[in-house]
Amino acid sequence: MPALDVKDLTKDYRSPVKEPGLWGGVKSLFDRRYKDTRAVDAVSFKIEEGELVGFLGANGAGKTTTLKMLSGLLTPTAGAATALGHVPWRREAAFQKKISLVMGQRTQLWWEIPALETFRLNQAIYGIPEPDFRRNLDELVELLDLGEHLAVPVKKLSLGQRMRAEMVAALLHQPQLLLLDEPTIGLDVIMQKKVREFVKAYNKRHNATIMLTSHNMTDVVELCKRVIVIERGVLLYDGPLERLVERYADHKIVRVRFHSPVAAADLRPLGTVVSAGELLAVLEVPRDKVPASAAALLRSYPVADLDVEEVDIDDIVRRLFGGS
Amino acid sequence: MRKYLVAYSISLQETLQRRSTLIMDRLGGFAVVLSLYSFWSALLGDKPSFLGYTRDEMISYVLVINVLRALVFTGRGWQLVGEISNGKISSYLVRPISYHAYALSLDLAQKSVHVVSAFFEVALLAAFIRGGLYLPGHLSTWLLFALSAILASLIFFFMEFIVSSLAFWTSESGGPLFCFELFLQFAAGAFFPLDVLPEFARRLLSATPFPYLVFFPARIFLEKVSTGEAARVLAIEAAWLAVFLAGALYIWRAGVSSYAAEGG
Repeated sequence: MPALDVKDLTKDYRSPVKEPGLWGGVKSLFDRRYKDTRAVDAVSFKIEEGELVGFLGANGAGKTTTLKMLSGLLTPTAGAATALGHVPWRREAAFQKKISLVMGQRTQLWWEIPALETFRLNQAIYGIPEPDFRRNLDELVELLDLGEHLAVPVKKLSLGQRMRAEMVAALLHQPQLLLLDEPTIGLDVIMQKKVREFVKAYNKRHNATIMLTSHNMTDVVELCKRVIVIERGVLLYDGPLERLVERYADHKIVRVRFHSPVAAADLRPLGTVVSAGELLAVLEVPRDKVPASAAALLRSYPVADLDVEEVDIDDIVRRLFGGS
Repeated sequence: MRKYLVAYSISLQETLQRRSTLIMDRLGGFAVVLSLYSFWSALLGDKPSFLGYTRDEMISYVLVINVLRALVFTGRGWQLVGEISNGKISSYLVRPISYHAYALSLDLAQKSVHVVSAFFEVALLAAFIRGGLYLPGHLSTWLLFALSAILASLIFFFMEFIVSSLAFWTSESGGPLFCFELFLQFAAGAFFPLDVLPEFARRLLSATPFPYLVFFPARIFLEKVSTGEAARVLAIEAAWLAVFLAGALYIWRAGVSSYAAEGG
């Protein structure tokens, strides 16, 4: 049985429409109009136990909405889903004890008191026996390198420390399904790396199923073999990360170093010139033209060195999402 | 059950941690008591009684409502409004916990701190004021008073819960909550005993749950009602509690399902 089985999941949001200006505000008091927006449109996928899947899409593509449905926060307009054998939006305690939803911009920690107190509260909420609590806490604190910060009021923690404390709070009950929404948002590079390493280790150690959204492509590249891409609520792609590259990158990058200066204008017939110095040029060449262009370069120019590379996944995804 | 005890204990720690807020709250309450005390002292002057209250009784009324305000009116209704509007409510909805019981545990912790403080304030005032403090002589009065005060604080909790839950539908539920609390303190008798009002206003108010929050418990304390009447007060309180409990459960379910439908 897959850990997540999603079939034609659809979600419409209904929001009041207000005409601009004061008069519009007055009018909307008496005659409220609504507009339905489809946030998620018949999305289907399956995720097996222990998989770590990246969930990609531009802002407003429907990622968070999907995660909210899978954690039981939102009820779908249509379609079906099971998570660990449960229908999430029934919000059964047995289901809630097996999952965790971490939203990078939300906190469940108590602000004025040390994080350890929130951990204790979660211990009671999830009914974690003391020995398990101790063991899990030690493990998480070690993995996340959080030791001396446990006794400090949460408001005194840095964003990175707080985010890691957030992770501990979310994982003390050892969820089998982890939904991470932007877990590295706002963190510096070192902290991002720490959180990434941790997610990877947790996935391995507990064979936990993890679905993660991120704007940070490094997160996705380092963590996820498989990605699901949605755009305006519709599933665009579901498969290995590398294949995403083949499918959406219709060109390769050709890097050439010359013995003697070559004018950029001379290179234009071979491909799109991305950058050109006196002795160095980078070209984007359509996939099917790469052999011909490379041959032409070697034949007609003073080439010292030549590399043909795949496009960065970053670039592809950025292109897929239309900038950002 | 343990989860709610832990929630209580965390809330207790946090309330004590936020010392300046606590001190401000208590000073505010103390100022109300002081002004009520001066007001009634001036009004009573040398008269032995006023509107059926002797001097001691009136002063005691003022002091008792200090304790009742601490027990009944302190809580975290604003927190619910905030957590609904900023979406923090989500983090409870995905965890196996009843939000009502959780919120009640947090409120009880605050109430505990405030009640203890209110007792000290009353003791302090009683030591300095002219005239004696009326203390009921019967153990049964104390018990009836305690019971009616506890019911009152539960009624208020669910009442406030209902008003706060409006945040599920409107982003402006802070307004209703504020108006509600101001009107409510007046109608509950937290500023003066309601029998100073004209007959029709008193009758009107008696048909609402408000006098049961402060006025009637205070009257029980002052032994101004017979045991039979006190029992009637408790029965009516229990009925109101049932109404507001049902209302709070209903509006919560409706709110969560609209939240689940609209998104947070």
